[in-house]
Amino acid sequence: MQKRTLLLLRFVLILSTILVMTYSERDLNIASPGYAVALAYFISNLALYLIPETKFAVPAVSFAIFLTDLVAVSLAIYLSQGIQTDFYLIFFLIIFIASFAQDIRGSIPIAIVASIVYTWLVYRFNPGVSLMDSAILIKVPFLFIVSLISSYWATATRREIMERRKLETSARKLEDEVARITAEETELRRYSEMVINCVASGVIVVKDDGTITTINPEAARVLGVDQRDLTGRNIKSTQSLDMLWQKMAQAMNTNRSMERLQISIRNADNELVPIGLSLSPMHSPNTELSGCVGILRDLTEVKELERKLQHAERLSYLGKMATWVAHEIRNPLTAIDGFSQLLSYTRDPEKIEAFSKEIHRGTRRINHIIEDILTFARTRTRSGAVEIDLHRLMTEITEDIANVRVFIDGTAGAVVRGEEESLKSLFTNIITNSVEAMDKDPKIVVRFSKTKNWIVTEIVDNGRGISAENMQNLITPFFTTKSRGTGLGLAIVKKIVDDYQGKIEIKSEEGKGTTCRVYLPTQEDK
Amino acid sequence: MTPINPAGDDAPVLEPGLTKKRILICDDEEPIRLLLAEALQDSYDIVEAANGRDALRLATKEHIDLIIIDIKMPQVHGLEAIERIRERDSNVPIIICSAYPLMEDDIVVKTSDIAAFITKPIDIESLKSRITELIGR
Repeated sequence: MQKRTLLLLRFVLILSTILVMTYSERDLNIASPGYAVALAYFISNLALYLIPETKFAVPAVSFAIFLTDLVAVSLAIYLSQGIQTDFYLIFFLIIFIASFAQDIRGSIPIAIVASIVYTWLVYRFNPGVSLMDSAILIKVPFLFIVSLISSYWATATRREIMERRKLETSARKLEDEVARITAEETELRRYSEMVINCVASGVIVVKDDGTITTINPEAARVLGVDQRDLTGRNIKSTQSLDMLWQKMAQAMNTNRSMERLQISIRNADNELVPIGLSLSPMHSPNTELSGCVGILRDLTEVKELERKLQHAERLSYLGKMATWVAHEIRNPLTAIDGFSQLLSYTRDPEKIEAFSKEIHRGTRRINHIIEDILTFARTRTRSGAVEIDLHRLMTEITEDIANVRVFIDGTAGAVVRGEEESLKSLFTNIITNSVEAMDKDPKIVVRFSKTKNWIVTEIVDNGRGISAENMQNLITPFFTTKSRGTGLGLAIVKKIVDDYQGKIEIKSEEGKGTTCRVYLPTQEDK
Repeated sequence: MTPINPAGDDAPVLEPGLTKKRILICDDEEPIRLLLAEALQDSYDIVEAANGRDALRLATKEHIDLIIIDIKMPQVHGLEAIERIRERDSNVPIIICSAYPLMEDDIVVKTSDIAAFITKPIDIESLKSRITELIGR
């Protein structure tokens, strides 16, 4: 029991004592000794305020206090001659307070002492009283009963209070824990949001039903939408994101990541924005967590750079071409011009014929150069696509080659859809390169094979091969190692192969020969 | 039409002091060599080279009175050939005959004392008169 409560109850006790005393004397006589005791009792209680709280917790101290109470009350009864009065009730109060302050171990001794003091008082005022008198037979056991009941009640109440306090404490701890976890979670969410917002790429996350759970500022910028508007809404409700949703749905349905996709999305200004896209589906038994993560990149600048690069390359080609044309055409032109000058000085028919031949040779050479330029510059027309048997084409190309052994084998079903002219140009250039690279025992082997997607034409020669240094410049337009080459041959080959959406592989070993593999798509139905 | 002295190891080596002066024509284009040979063979001995390497070899081995040389050639490039010819012979007149204009700015050209530049196509009469100016007939 707290010091304050105990002392307060003692004041009630003192007041009750004074009250009963005054009532039993039927008169207020301040000078009577009972009042002196009550006053001392009152002052002693005030003095107890000076004792520190901790002392009250010591059982001996509180026991002494209650003994003092018994003595004081008994003394007051004794001095006021009031055993016949209601002083008896005061004992109940003491026992009651003692039960409160301590448990049954405190209240029972107090009850015993109270019973002894009370019995002594009864005997003192009624010397011949029987043990069977109600004053003893009823009242003494009653003191014990009250002591037991109040102790039991006080203990129960104390336990209840303690339990409630314990509960309150653990509830408070729980509350603190919840608050801490909530704060941590908020911090974590803010942190991950910050990370996602900082990422230079666009990030968009949707659930499998299309609800947007995350969209970072870069994604909103790239897609031309308002970030706050879109979070929590369904992607399907924004028409401009239809293409994005289709791809995301595809990734989720197939449960496969999709890398390096390119889509175009119309932004708020109605401009088509090229977007690079990588999609990763998220799968979880809990559908709440199933969805798709999209990483976006604005390709506008990349495309612009590509365009500029292509432009620069074109300009560079043009520059090279101009130089090349100057040189290549001027040589035959010089011959034509020179021999025609010589024609005017000679009458010798033999010379006239020889000079005319040279003039003709010069014009043919110029024409050849122009053909090459045109082939290189021409874009492939799709309209003339027919089925072409490469086996037949290759036979035609190689049959006119003198002094070179040519072997053609492999699948007879090497058929592609395309134009005769471009394919002829493609293989003629490769074969010409081989023929010009071979010195002794020239031999070319052409093999056809077929895979699921490709018709492969392999052309192997036993020529000089290509040095590692020249390999790097192999398809650069106007690069040549031949004295008469235009430098356009392999550039033309590459261009035609690209037009057919095919590919070319060239492997070479200096001094041993070159192997050239051309892959053309099996079905060119576009 | 037969070129007078085709380039090659087995080409006859002519001794200096004969009546005709000797001109080395170096060009990788056969028609150009033929043309120059036809134009000049009446007045001069002609030696031909199809690349810079052969030109160097001939210039070292034989007495040459004048060299007409192209620039863009395989194996030894024209400018390199000129540089190396000059290392051995600082006097032989060299005429550059090229399809590329503006060769005058090149450092090798500047330091090699080039007698004349001819840009293709060639005016045969003016070439002849320039050669006459340089070495006579």
